[in-house]
Amino acid sequence: MNLSRDEHQQVNPSAITGDLREIRDEDLIVHVQNGRRKAFDEIVSRYKGRLFSFILRMVKDPDLAEELTQETLIRVFVHAGKYREIAKFSTWVFTIATNLVRNKMRQRSRRPRLVSLNPAPDEGEMPVDPPDHEADSSSEVEREELARLIQEATSQIPEKYRIPFLLREVDQLSYEEIQQVTGLKLGTVRSRINRARNRFRQLIKPLLRNETLLMELERIEARAEAEKGNN
Amino acid sequence: MRCNKAREFLSMEMDGMVPPDSTVELEQHLETCADCQEYRSDLLLGKRLLAATEPELPENFDWKLQLRLSQTLREAAGDAAFPWEEKPSDAWAWLRNFGTAAAVGMAAILTFAIFVGPNDTSDHFVADSVGANPAAAVAEGGNDRLPLSRQIRFNGLQVGGPMQRQAPGMSLTPVTGSRLGLDRGWSGGNLEDLRIINRLRAENRQLTSALLKSQLQLRLRQAQLDTSAQKALDLEK
Ligand SMILES: [Zn+2]
Repeated sequence: MNLSRDEHQQVNPSAITGDLREIRDEDLIVHVQNGRRKAFDEIVSRYKGRLFSFILRMVKDPDLAEELTQETLIRVFVHAGKYREIAKFSTWVFTIATNLVRNKMRQRSRRPRLVSLNPAPDEGEMPVDPPDHEADSSSEVEREELARLIQEATSQIPEKYRIPFLLREVDQLSYEEIQQVTGLKLGTVRSRINRARNRFRQLIKPLLRNETLLMELERIEARAEAEKGNN
Repeated sequence: MRCNKAREFLSMEMDGMVPPDSTVELEQHLETCADCQEYRSDLLLGKRLLAATEPELPENFDWKLQLRLSQTLREAAGDAAFPWEEKPSDAWAWLRNFGTAAAVGMAAILTFAIFVGPNDTSDHFVADSVGANPAAAVAEGGNDRLPLSRQIRFNGLQVGGPMQRQAPGMSLTPVTGSRLGLDRGWSGGNLEDLRIINRLRAENRQLTSALLKSQLQLRLRQAQLDTSAQKALDLEK
């Protein structure tokens, strides 16, 4: 990183106002390149949730996911000067995150695992048990339980399918953006997303016919909708 | 159209990517194939389930990020040339100050972080605010530090604040008594105070060494990542 630009950069913090929220990512990063802290804060607030979602669903471990999310953002900050508007900013950010995740997963798989708590199921087998709790128990518990089941299912999609799948489903990147992040051909992106969805469907199949769970899903969605209305 | 092809299109349909000349064919297949109809509704349910179980960010995420940023920045600036004297206009000063404070008393800063919250926008908030009233910050933030702040009232131990300016040239080495400015508030007569001070010193040494260790790990990781970034992302391999 080159800090020498500080010496001639005169930044008046009050010159940057709340308008930051209206600025495109690609312009925000230029502000970061000029040493503006608030622009970076704005980038962080735009991306931290999406990154954490993606990374947690890749690595499963919340502590590791937090660490890698932070590492991604730090690398965005440190390498801000290298970003050029050839690619979309989001593509650049997710390329960094994907590299970090893949690197970490490779490291982990090289290390011998002493205990495997969740052995990979055979194709077609249903590893996810439907929850057997009462429908009227605390909704936060229900949501957590549901989240745990979905996390468990997601983590069993093979990595090479899971990455494009999550970039699409969780982070809403387009096929073209996923192509740029992963370096895959467009047709491969498409077919991997298709296969991951199919696999995910097999894994959550028991949930899909569970009335209690579907009601919980509707409750969660209604709550989220109401919260959106409040904000 | 066969089921396999139809399902490929159903996946593309979720992304609005079905070629226009295939939509009629797809609909025709669906009209006659209950399995593919079910497949379609399952895909949609799967998407809803993913959205409904979006994980929440861990607590204090922003503050941990600030701390790590400050460490990274300090590393970049070099530990030897510690930038104590900042021009007020220096855009990076807030982070360097943060980094300085972190090295001196990370725990105090962390508790303070919880107290103030992540949206403070003043450029020198760590140095100024902690210095102004460290005990209040600590008392608000973490109960594990509460007894300490009461007993010694942080008289000579204003970590993070004015101390930064009084200790030019201090680098990331274990904090010693003379640098803590004990002459400024500690009477010397109270054995209990001395014990607490020693404990704080030990704690500071531990924090400093933990910080060094994590910085080392960070460097290692960055080196590894730099290597991996060179390679193209090729999932086929
Ligand atoms: Zn069919």
